[in-house]
Amino acid sequence: MGSFAQVFINGILLGSMYGIAAAGLSLIFGTMRIIFIAQGTMIVFFAYVVYWCFQKAGIDPYLSLFIAVPLAFAVGLGMFYLVFRKAAALEDKNVSLLIAVGLMYLVENLMLKVWSANPRGLKLDIQGVVIAGWGLRISVVRLILLGIALVSALVVSLFLKRTRLGTAVRAASEDMEATTLQGINSVWVCAVSFAIGIALAGAAGVGMATVYSFDYKFGFTFALKALVALALGGIGNVFGALAGGLILGVIEQLASYYIGMNWIEAVSYGVFLLVLAFLPQGLFGKRGLIKKV
Amino acid sequence: MANLLLEVNELSVSYGDVRALTDVSIAVDDGAIVALVGSNGAGKSTLLKAIAGLLHPSSGQMFFMGESIDGLSTKHRVDRGIVLVPEGRRLFQTLTVRENLKLGAYLPRARASYDESLERVFALFPVLKERANGKAGLLSGGEQQMLAIGRAVMAHPKLVMVDEASLGLSPLLSAAIFELIVALNQQGTTVLLVEQNIHMALKICSTAYVMKTGSVVLSGTGQELLASEDVRKAYIGERGGRR
Repeated sequence: MGSFAQVFINGILLGSMYGIAAAGLSLIFGTMRIIFIAQGTMIVFFAYVVYWCFQKAGIDPYLSLFIAVPLAFAVGLGMFYLVFRKAAALEDKNVSLLIAVGLMYLVENLMLKVWSANPRGLKLDIQGVVIAGWGLRISVVRLILLGIALVSALVVSLFLKRTRLGTAVRAASEDMEATTLQGINSVWVCAVSFAIGIALAGAAGVGMATVYSFDYKFGFTFALKALVALALGGIGNVFGALAGGLILGVIEQLASYYIGMNWIEAVSYGVFLLVLAFLPQGLFGKRGLIKKV
Repeated sequence: MANLLLEVNELSVSYGDVRALTDVSIAVDDGAIVALVGSNGAGKSTLLKAIAGLLHPSSGQMFFMGESIDGLSTKHRVDRGIVLVPEGRRLFQTLTVRENLKLGAYLPRARASYDESLERVFALFPVLKERANGKAGLLSGGEQQMLAIGRAVMAHPKLVMVDEASLGLSPLLSAAIFELIVALNQQGTTVLLVEQNIHMALKICSTAYVMKTGSVVLSGTGQELLASEDVRKAYIGERGGRR
């Protein structure tokens, strides 16, 4: 039983990375109607930024949250106006999707040029710290990553629920033209929601830099896992996406423990297909309302 | 002689290679109810969308309160007081009634009179006050239409354009919606109406334009068109006969 609890906790901790990536995907999907396949790569990029801040300037990786997140927001705004603005207005979303694919490979290869193909990882004292009790062991850096994921989801969710611009983002996710008809600058609304999605990648980058060793190609898998998490959690709900990530983490750890390490990927994508085939709204999708729309 | 609020001058709109409007001219007096009638595909909705700034005309001019609005974005037209209630209501279904109304008053000019506008909407449509914290998607068809109009009123508009307000509603509810549109108009808001319920539209409007395949083919007062043999035959026809 003790080992089950340990496996479960490991799953939650693993899943927080998937969850925060999925929350970003969900937000970007809402207004742009594309799966932003470069999200994982952006997370890796900001992990490199955090790594650099530490190596070059000695900035504590957790303090660099205050650098990575605003920087990511600015990068997101810039990216939107530079490459997505025209494509986002088109009926055919394939163009935006192709841009995202292009961005992913461009950023991957720029990172390869700048940081080489050698895996990077921070060496921090805190990485060895473990909370132990009741026969369980919890790594503190992973626990902090879970905390970052929860706080990020909470902040984004409050923004969406409580602010005028956040309400406009939710409206635009539902009906872009009707949003424009209210006199709302829907291009700006799209830009902001995209930038917040990238800001989440900034926060996730801190988590990645402190927990994992990573290289320039490491992100794509996370984008795929985030996609699975999104399918589980359902689109249009930040906490749903986060929960989808946590559930995926638990499923993977259970599969690894009870079936075997090398089954993790097969089980993840098997779950992905099953959910899409039989529960296309996800586990928490509000079926009734979506059907009515 | 009333002041002219909106003037559309020889407007043409194309969707790609397809001409949707050809040299359409209409005039809307300040304080009036003007109706656009005609069969499906006549270009009525296209005209409203062009006035709202959602479509870009290939030629022609539009003037609002004597000033050109050509090339202005939808946002700036809303800011000047031109608001469209689109066909199919297009509410934000997963948002609450209150949030929908709040978004209607998004621009600073409208936000300044938010409380006053909200009171006005709740006075016109008391049911919206009861349902203020419920999701818009859970309202009935008639209530949704009220919310769509209420959302437009929140923008503090001078001109409200209503596209097919009675579509999908029972005759009783349609009549109620028409009464509310008249009430809104009596408070000083000018209304430009697109309606498939031609009989009712002609009854409440002061001026009407009959459109056919992208052009205005006939215009006159509502009473004149109601009495016109051509209009009765072409558009009211069977429906009128059954009454």
